[in-house]
Amino acid sequence: MMELVGSIMVLLGAVFHFSAGLGMLRMPDAYTRMQAGTKASTLGNTLILLGLAIYHPGWGLKLLIIIFFVLMTNPISSHALARAAHGIRIPMAGQTGIDALRDARRKPGDSS
Amino acid sequence: MISHIVLVTGLFLILIGLWGLLTHRNILRIIISFSLMGTGTHIVTVAIGYVRNGTAPIIDRTLDVSEAASHVVDPIPSALVVTAIVIGMAVTAVMLAFAVRLYDSKKTLSIDAFTDSKW
Amino acid sequence: MIHRLLVAVVVASFGLVFASLVVGYTEQSSLRPLAESYVRLVPHELGAPNVITGILLTYRGFDTLGEVAVLFMVAASVGLVLGTRRARRSASAKDRPDETRSSSEVVRTAAEILVPLICIFAAYIIMNGHLSAGGGFQGGAVIASGVLLMLLAFPQYQPNLDFLSITESVAGAIFVLAGIAGLIMAGGFLDNRILPLGQFGAFFSAGAIPLLSVCLGIKVGCELSVILERFRPQKL
Repeated sequence: MMELVGSIMVLLGAVFHFSAGLGMLRMPDAYTRMQAGTKASTLGNTLILLGLAIYHPGWGLKLLIIIFFVLMTNPISSHALARAAHGIRIPMAGQTGIDALRDARRKPGDSS
Repeated sequence: MISHIVLVTGLFLILIGLWGLLTHRNILRIIISFSLMGTGTHIVTVAIGYVRNGTAPIIDRTLDVSEAASHVVDPIPSALVVTAIVIGMAVTAVMLAFAVRLYDSKKTLSIDAFTDSKW
Repeated sequence: MIHRLLVAVVVASFGLVFASLVVGYTEQSSLRPLAESYVRLVPHELGAPNVITGILLTYRGFDTLGEVAVLFMVAASVGLVLGTRRARRSASAKDRPDETRSSSEVVRTAAEILVPLICIFAAYIIMNGHLSAGGGFQGGAVIASGVLLMLLAFPQYQPNLDFLSITESVAGAIFVLAGIAGLIMAGGFLDNRILPLGQFGAFFSAGAIPLLSVCLGIKVGCELSVILERFRPQKL
């Protein structure tokens, strides 16, 4: 029974990974691609490791530590990438409404 | 059965890397295709060493010394791939260094800009 | 159009060759004689539970020395290609990327938590190379990733290049000296019986393999850190 639950969770995690890849192909610009890739693949990782922990209960603590490390490092790396992309002025998609980082960085009296 | 699936995955990765290498015009995508081909080759090398119902060649409390020779997978391809991964990363660093210098000279990353021959 | 057709033909022909490889492949049901002799000999003669590290550092130790030489050559060539880069000059302020930008607080906080953990993890991988999965190459790559995180989070961080090159030279020299000591005191070059074999599975066991792992890990880590350091933009 536990094996069935674990296997279904691993399959769900694989589905989320696939949707991450699909999102990276279909999204309009670099920033939305980064968001699709990071969020969906982090959740996919977490689900796969949780499913494995249910399948093998003896490995539970080690897998929880691995989930903690994945949750710490994936969002930070995509944050650094997105900031760097904004810094070298990669263009945003046409439908973008607000650019909060540019407004926050704009110094008063700047002409650009 | 397992090693068949892994072997097909590795060979498929090599094919995708080869297609990307020949099609793209951006230098960085060509470098990523090289890295993809390298990863595919590593996967193929490790898949060939699989022995049916074998486990990792590490002797601890789950694997006894006396029964090791009949229950482990081939350790030699794994040993070769360990160094190959680090060398692949170093070679990618050299390729990226070249890409940086090329961008410095022509201010573009497309390889169509570098068509002038020396003679 | 003709270019895409040629590309399709090349990829398809490679696909045919790979398909014939897959069809002709059958899984092994028992180890080949060389692999079986390695699996039998490594715990018996070398006293190392991890067969792969035993092969890498003793039976195929000379290949490992060659890989180390290849890494050194790569570091030298990256230094040559990127060493003479002039500082960026640009026409107007609009082209120049924002140079007063510092790294974000999120990355700095994460680096303060993660870098000690990465260093401990790398040391664990290197020291446990002979007991469980791990070894010098893997640990060296993890050290380099820790250095990369430091470079990203603290832009003013300057790793001391002189210290790194002296350290990696000393580590490489100790590796070769241990090999020569194997010639003098034990069976051959890079034989690990120059140090006592100890109890099977204990921490200080398997002769010289932990020492060689540590030297290899330090050398690989310093090499990759030097390569990463070269990619920084030059100051105006």
